This record gives sequence, structure tokens and C-alpha cells, in this order.
Amino acid sequence: MAEQQSTPDPVAAFRELVTQWEKGLNEFASKAMNSDEFARVMNKATTTTTTMQQQLGELIGRYLSSLNLPTRTEMVNIGERLQAIETSLHRITAQLDKLGASTSGGAPAGPPRTKRPPSAEQGGSA
Amino acid sequence: MNAASATATKEGAGADPNLGARIQALVERTIQRNIKGLEYIATPAPVMGTTPKDLIYSRGTLNLYHYRPLADEIYRVPLLLVMATTNKGYIFDLAPGQSLVEYLLKQGYDVYVIDWNPPRADEKNLTLETYVLDFIPECVRRVQEDSGEEDVTVVGYCMGGVLSVMYAALHNDGPIKNLACFTTPIDYRHMTMFQRWSDRRYFEVDRLVDTLGNIPPELIFTSFEMLRPATRIAGQVQLWENMWNDDFVKSYRMFDRWSTDTLPLAGEYFRQTTKELMWENSLYHGTLALNGRRVDMGNIKVPLFHAVAQHDHIVPYDAAKPLVASVGSEDKKEIVLKGGHVSVVAGPNAVKRLWPALDQWLGERSV
Repeated sequence: MAEQQSTPDPVAAFRELVTQWEKGLNEFASKAMNSDEFARVMNKATTTTTTMQQQLGELIGRYLSSLNLPTRTEMVNIGERLQAIETSLHRITAQLDKLGASTSGGAPAGPPRTKRPPSAEQGGSA
Repeated sequence: MNAASATATKEGAGADPNLGARIQALVERTIQRNIKGLEYIATPAPVMGTTPKDLIYSRGTLNLYHYRPLADEIYRVPLLLVMATTNKGYIFDLAPGQSLVEYLLKQGYDVYVIDWNPPRADEKNLTLETYVLDFIPECVRRVQEDSGEEDVTVVGYCMGGVLSVMYAALHNDGPIKNLACFTTPIDYRHMTMFQRWSDRRYFEVDRLVDTLGNIPPELIFTSFEMLRPATRIAGQVQLWENMWNDDFVKSYRMFDRWSTDTLPLAGEYFRQTTKELMWENSLYHGTLALNGRRVDMGNIKVPLFHAVAQHDHIVPYDAAKPLVASVGSEDKKEIVLKGGHVSVVAGPNAVKRLWPALDQWLGERSV
């Protein structure tokens, strides 16, 4: 038994190594990121990236415009109009469903809502 | 047994009688890893969210689903699950046998789920008020209408829990029968890393929202990933090691797909949650007001159940702890379960821990 335990298991050793590495790096990163300096640099980088993205977006918008293609705003407007149509459709569907339910007796279909919790059933039968 | 393992067994016989078998297993697993590794690359991720359901209401980012009952007899009070706004709702319905929804249906509940689509560009103006005073009440009304029952139990996960708490606090005379929350942050002082990163001295939330409109999912995903930067790489190493194990690979793929399937957030909603919750901690302090109405958790009088995770790195226990103490309910319960932010709700541990506890608590209060 002792001989068996003394035999190294390379897979277990590798697994342990990865676990230790993960734990160590997570702890190290958490300490490093939990600082004013990191927050400042990270937010600066985020702001810079988003500003660049915005400028790139505007540039592409101008290019699309020169090709006589719809702008993003125009597409968004179409989206809004589609959403309004979708909402109206849902309202109409809901009204129709309600109408259908009232003409067919009104009671929602499905299994009876009579289930009792097992504790109550045990108590009842005791 | 192949030649290599036979030789190894002979040479190592004095040291370990099982060495040969172990080497054989190692070789077989290595072969399996290569075969299954190729399969992994060549096959699509498993399909999730397959429990039969009907979309009963949809409006932009909002989807309300009704799952078809799987029991012959169901509890009187329907359940409305509210998903977090950052991720898709199929975490409640991963796969047969690993689905909270399926489990609840089989236990005899009538289940409805609020799931979110990515907010569209024209939905950048959605606010906390939209979610709490429009979306949830509208869904509750539709659940009442669809089920024919006045009472509804609301179950919220993470930010879905926060929205449900706000809804319950502002509708204490409403149809809510019970409130169950999973890993719901209340005291944002203890969201240590998020606090640091959204430090108002450096985090230009106005500029970000004004520039981008909606907050892209990559930003949300990265902020979650940064909480544990080594975990993804370690997970991939673990995946390779367990590539021979079909169950492990399937589970890994499901969770990996879900966690990377992050949703964008509506810009104004993000601005408001940053300022109100992160900076002012106004839900915890009772100073949050939606449409001029103060959100006082003390107004919640219905039975409350809160499940929190012992090793939650996204919502630490101290951030979630004040919920039970803050509500005015007499019937309230908190359970602390082993696991992390996701594994407490879905996966093999949730099947054994959270789900039966939730069923026991809900069953008695759903008649």
C-alpha cells in the first residue's frame, strides 16, 4: 500500500500544478487589479478605445453615405417602426386570445391546479 | 494491453502492482483525448433550452415564455422566473436532467420565464423603471391572465433578483405570493472588484453610454472574466485532460457557451445601475426612487427565500446577505450552499442542493 502511494502519478501532479497556478495567478491578479492605479489605467484604456470606435463608426458612416447606402440612424428608424408594428401585432394577438378564451368558456386549459405538497399529503393520510 | 504498457508493468512490478493498469489507462485516455478532441472541434455545441415552451409575450428585449406542464396535477400558484439582464435564460434549462425548469415542471409547478433578447439600438433608453414598473408588472399580468390565477410567485436570479426585489417592494399590495431569489446583490459595497473598477473618479460612465448607446457584451464579458483571469485557461487545460470523458465535455461546452453568451445592456439602464447601485448603494440604503416612489425593502411582506453561494466570486456573500434582514417578511429563509455563482443554480451540484431545497420551500407556499 505504502509502495503504491509512493509511486508518482504524473496526471495528478499536473492537475495539482494547474490548480495551484490558477489559484496563485487569480490571487495575484486580484491584488494587482484592486488598486487605484489599475482602475485609472483600465478606465482610461476603455474610454480611449470607445472614442476610437466612435470615430471609426462616424468615418464608416460618411463612407456609406457617399455610396448612397442607408445610414445607421435610418436603419434604427426602420427598426423602431418595425417594433411599433410588432407591438401592435402582439396587442391584437392578445385581444384575439382573450376573445377566444371568453367564447370557449374562459377557463385556461391544462392540468388541474390541485397539487398539494408531499408534506401535506403525508399529514393528510396519517 | 499494448507493448509499452506490458513492459512498464514488468519493470515496475516491484514498486506498484497497479502501475501497468494505470499506464494502460493513461495511454487509452491519451488516444481518446485525440479522437474526442477532433470530434470537439468538428461538432457544434450541444443544443440547450429544449424543454417545450410557448412564447406568450414579446416586446423588444423582453420575452415571456410559458413552459408546457409535465405533471398531471400542478400547484395552484404559477412561478415567474426572472433572468439576469446580463445573460440568456437557458441557464435555467441547460439539458434534460440538468434543467431547473424541467425539474420544477416534473415537481408539479406551472413555470413562466422572463428571458431577455439583446436590447436593440433603439432600446438604449430603457431604464430601471422600464424593467421594474413596466416589464415585470406586464409579465405578471400576462401570467395571471394565462394561468387564470391571481397569485404569482416571482423567482429572480442575480440582477433578475434585484429587479424582482424592487418590483416586490413597490407592489406590496400586488399579486405576488412568494419571492425567491438566487445570489442577489443588495449591498454593493461588498462587490469589491466591481466597486474598484467603477470608481467614480475614473469611470466615465456618462461618456461611455453617450458614446456607445448600449453597452456591448464584450465589455460585460470581460469584466466578469477579469474577476478570475486564470480560470478560463485553467478550464481549457482541464477540458483537455478530461476530453475522454463525454459527460465532462458536454457539461463544459454547455457552461462555456452560456457564460460567453453575454448580453449587451441598455445604456441608460447601465448608467442608472452604475450610479444608483454601485456609487450610491441606494437600494441598500433605502434611498432608491423609481418614478418618484422610494424602493423600501421593508415593504416586502411576502414569504422570502434567498439562496446564496459560498464561493460566489461575482456576488460575494456579504453583498447578498442583507436581503433577508432588510425585508419586512415574517416568513423568510436564507440558505448558503456550496458552489459558485452559476453552479449554485445549474449543474450537478444544483440538482442535489438548490433544487430540492427550493421545491420544498415553494411546495408548501404554492397551494
